[in-house]
Formats: sequence, structure tokens, C-alpha cells
Amino acid sequence: MTQDDTNAADILMGDVVRLEDVLRRDSVTSVAKSFFGLFGLPVRVISHEGDLLADVHRDRPLCSYLNTFSGGERECARTVGIVRDLEPDNGVIVHPCFTGAVYRIVPLAYQGRIIGRLIVGPYVPAEAGAPPASLTSVDEGIDGPTAREHFQRMPRVREDIAGELCSHLKGVLELLVFSGHRAHLASTMQVANVRENYRELAEKNEALKTSYDELKQLDQLKSTFLATVSHELRTPLTSIIGYAEMLESGAAGTLSDGQADLLKTIRSKADQLLGLISSLLDLGRLEAKNLKLHYEAVDPRALLSDVGSTIVPHANRRNIALDIQVTDGTPKIWGDPVRLRQILINLADNALKFTREGGEVVLGVEPGQLEAEGPSGLGAALFAPPGRPAVVLTVRDTGLGIPEDKLPRIFDAFYQIDSGTTRAHGGAGLGLSIVKQLVDGHRGKIEVASVPGEGTLFTVMLPAAGDDGR
Amino acid sequence: MQIDFAAKELTVKLVYYGPALSGKTTNLRAIHWLGTSSACGELMTLETQNDRTLFFDMLPITVSSETGLKVRLKLFTVPGQVMHNATRRLVLQAADGVAFIADSQRSEADANRESFANLKQNFQEAGLDPNRVPIVIQFNKRDMKDIRTDEELEAIANQSRETIYKAVATRGYGVMQTLRGLIRETWSKLEEAHQLEQSFGINPRRFMKDVESRLKHDPSGAER
Repeated sequence: MTQDDTNAADILMGDVVRLEDVLRRDSVTSVAKSFFGLFGLPVRVISHEGDLLADVHRDRPLCSYLNTFSGGERECARTVGIVRDLEPDNGVIVHPCFTGAVYRIVPLAYQGRIIGRLIVGPYVPAEAGAPPASLTSVDEGIDGPTAREHFQRMPRVREDIAGELCSHLKGVLELLVFSGHRAHLASTMQVANVRENYRELAEKNEALKTSYDELKQLDQLKSTFLATVSHELRTPLTSIIGYAEMLESGAAGTLSDGQADLLKTIRSKADQLLGLISSLLDLGRLEAKNLKLHYEAVDPRALLSDVGSTIVPHANRRNIALDIQVTDGTPKIWGDPVRLRQILINLADNALKFTREGGEVVLGVEPGQLEAEGPSGLGAALFAPPGRPAVVLTVRDTGLGIPEDKLPRIFDAFYQIDSGTTRAHGGAGLGLSIVKQLVDGHRGKIEVASVPGEGTLFTVMLPAAGDDGR
Repeated sequence: MQIDFAAKELTVKLVYYGPALSGKTTNLRAIHWLGTSSACGELMTLETQNDRTLFFDMLPITVSSETGLKVRLKLFTVPGQVMHNATRRLVLQAADGVAFIADSQRSEADANRESFANLKQNFQEAGLDPNRVPIVIQFNKRDMKDIRTDEELEAIANQSRETIYKAVATRGYGVMQTLRGLIRETWSKLEEAHQLEQSFGINPRRFMKDVESRLKHDPSGAER
């Protein structure tokens, strides 16, 4: 059988050419033993290559007796030699022994090929009455009556029965070969299959990796493009704002009320545009991981009231109640005051944007605990580093809420829950993405909980400043 | 095809392809049942518990020619289920001829087409040339309801590059015709490629006669 399992096609086409490849010696021996036990007939199984796979026999008194004479021993060895080498290519051979017993040599075949043979015997055909007269002439020491007596005690089988028994044993062994070959093919096929599937998957993975790399490059290109464009947009915009301010301050003469109103609109829209461009720049820098944070201990109360005073005009305009709740004993935050303000402003702006008139937005701060990232699962209690004191900032609104299936994506850049809201509420979908990146930059955590129709709660956990101010 | 000059043996690989449950294994079972015991060896099946082919089935057929050359035909089936494509590709490797077993039911037309597209794809991946490896098509399950009519098959056969056979494999109808047709076309391609008549003295017509006599319906086969 072909053993090269690198090519299953060869294996499928390969045949059983060696009996020992598909039959275990001990299985063959055990079948031969059981045959011998049942019928008292000695059995040898020999592969086509001449290997003895099983040999079950017991020395018969006749054989033992004859082997004590040199002539008998010589004749016995000669017979056994001939019998072993007989190849029954064209069917069963019955070979006579000089003792009057016989050997039956039966071919073992598989898929039309001879793969070995089994030798049953010596036994005496039931039809035989006495040993041949020639027996005593083999060696002059052989005693006729003694030999005859031993001859009578040899196993006796009728030839037709012997034929059937051998055919049965042949069938059993050939079935074992069939099963062995089947198992061999199945396991080879299994291995080849695993290999083939692995090859296919590896190819697909490679293709996926290539397209992933290409996309990453494109994404990088997009970030660079964003940064360049926003920078280029900002320069002329600053000039526009500057000249508008000069006009407002009367540098080109006194303005009529109508002119001042129009100029105010230009200023406000230009500021809005500048804000958007700054966000784009920030995002570009954050994505490129080159935004520097200037850490210091920041008083949360001052931070919240500053943010509150910035957004209160907006809240008033839309008739939304704005509340600020500070829990006593809240420690200072270890962070960049400018960026912390940006985080809160973005969240508060969003809250206002999505809350209807008459609603409520609450900014809160309280002490908390920031769970350190550690291994989860078994034994986590032993391995997790202790948590750190934290400051918890919350922004709660009574707005539209966010459907649960959209929650995982709200921090993606340019993501809008539905494009309708963009038109209704404005914005480029950058606010939350920037917040997330800034919170991550502070090694903090942001969570969101929302009930559609009832409101949304953003919770930002930031590391507290230590006693020494760090 | 494998040639063993020493043993004067030639082994030919024939593959039964087709969609799931179209009757590939049933074809082999019928051949095993109908063929003469001297030609057909044991049918080897490797199947799951619910009798779906897992890796393949294999039926060896031996035909001796009068020149002393022994031709061994190894018939394989592939598992039809879509997920077993890797196995199909492995079994198809080095095939000398393919019998595509299609399901005649109208509802299975898409499955037939998908499987045939898959066969063409795997031919390409296994490096098999459809010009050198013949394909015959068997429309099986002619006894079912709502099948393509004989007239439709006639029309298909007139346009088709492949020879079309009709069968009811569960009852053995058409199975041997398909096999003989497959062997004839395969042998003719092998003759073209390897000049077997010149090398081994086997005349193609003589060989087909041998095949037909060896595969002839054996009344005692039903007992096997």
C-alpha cells in the first residue's frame, strides 16, 4: 500500500500489497488460535512477501517421534520448506506429507490480487486408513507399529469439511483485510482532508489579510487627507473671522443694525465651521496618536460650572432645564483640563441636541472606583490588580434615546444613528468619537445606557489625582 | 491511470459526481448487485450514521484481456453535500472519467447546475482537462414525479457535448448503460493519449466486448 499520505489521490488508487500493512499480527494470531482451538488444525498465515504473520500449531506425537531420527528430521524439514514456498496462484493446493498427512495451502486475495496464503495442516484426511508403507524407509530406525499408533492419533478431517473450514478462515481473514484497508483509507482521507481544508483556509486568510492591509492603508490615507484639508480650510477661515470681527468693531465705519445682524450671522456660522474643522483636526491627531495631553489635578466642581455656564445659553434658548449635581468629597481628576472640558462639552452638546423642549439635562460628578483591566474568569480575584480611585462624570438627558442595536457603533467616527438626525440636529458624527478617544487617552472608561424615548446616560470614569497631586 | 508493467496491470479511476442525494452511491450499489462476482470486488462505503457518504465509496472492477493484461477499474463516488468540497477535490484528483449523476426532478435543477459548476471548478483546481477526461451525464430518478420529460432530455442531449443517459438506479435501470458508456469514452481518451493498442495490444473494440461480457447481468448477482 502506498504510504505517502501527502497525496490522497495516490492512496485512493493504491492497493493492499502488503498484508502486514492492514492486518495486525496479534489479530491474525488470535483468529488462528481460535481456529486451532475449535478444530485442532494447525494454521500458518504468510504474506505474499513471505513474512510469517501467524503460526499456531502443537507438535504432534508422530512428528516428534519422526524428528528423533535424522532421516525423519531431514524429510520433515524438506516438506515444511516446500509447503512454505508453495504459491497457490490458481487456487487451493493440497500437498502430501511423507507421513501420509496433508497440508492445505489456500490463497488470500483482495481486490483481485493475491496478497498472501494460509497453510492448514498437517492433518490426516479422514478417508486415509494407515500411514504409507514408504514411511519406514525414510530412516531405518523408524518402528512401523509405533509410527502407525502415532498416526492414528493425528487430527482427522474429511477433505470436503477441511475445504469448507479453510474457505471459512480465508473469508474471515479477507474480511479483516477489507476492514483494515477501509480504516486505513478513512484515516488517510481524514488527514488529507484536514490538510486540504487548512490549505484552503490559509489561502483565504492570506487574501483577507491583504485586503485588510489595503483598507488600513486607505484609512491612513483618509486620516492624512482629513488633517491636510482641515488645516488648509482653517487658515482662510481664521482670516474670514478676523475680518468679520474688524467689521463688527467698526474698523470700516459704523454699521447699520441690519448690517450688524448679518455680520453676526456670518460670525456665528464661521465659528460653527471652525468648531467642525477643529474637531476634524483633533480626530486626525487622535487617530494618529499624536495628541499630547498636559496632565494636572483638575477640580471637578470648577470644571462642571465652567461647562455649565458655556452651555446654559443654549439650554435656555431651547427651554431645557440644566442641572449640575456635585457629590461632596469628590477628588480631583488627573487629566488635561482643556480636553476634559472638550469631553464634557461634546457630551452636553449632544444631550441638548437630542432633548426636546421642556426636557432636562443633568451634569453630575461623584467619587468612584476604576476597575483595573485584568484577567477575567477563573482566579481573577487573585490576579486582578486593585482598582484605582476615580471620578465619575455623568451626563444624563431626557432625549430620544438610542436603540440598543446602535449602541456599539455610536463611538465610531462619522457614524450617525440615522441620517435623518443629521439634517434635523446637524453635526458630522465626530463628537462621540473624539470623546471616546480622549477618554481612552486619559486611561479612563466611557459607558452608555439608554432607553429609547426616555433618555440616555453617559458615564465617564477618569482616574482621580493622588494625594500628592498626581 | 496507473500502469504496473511488472504485474501487467492497468488501473483506471472513474468518479461518480453529482449533487447530494442524486444517487451516486445507489449507482455503485446497483453495479455491485448486477455485475458478475468475478469482475466486481467488494463495495467499500465510508458513510455517516445516516447513510450519507462521508469520504467516498469505492467499487473495484477487474477485467482481464486475452493479452494477459489486467485492467482494474476503480469506481469512486464523492460526497455530494456542499460542505465536503475538499473531499470531492481529493477524490477527483487524477480521475480518468467522470459520470455526473443528475437528479431528474424539476425541483433539483438548481442543485444539478450548482454541482456541475463545482465539478468544472474542481476540474480546474485538480488540473484536469475536460478535453482529455470525458464526462457523461446520467439523469437519475426517472421514476419520480414532476421530472424533466423524455422530450426535454432529448432536446438537452441534442445540444449537449456530454452523452446523456437515463436511469432509475434504485432498480438498476440504466446503471450499466451509463457505466459502459463511461468506460467506452474513457478508454477512447486513454487510447488517444497513451496508444494502449500499440503498447499493450488491446484493441478498443475487443476491450469493450470483454467489459460487456464481464459486466453482463448476472442472475445469481441478486443473491450477493
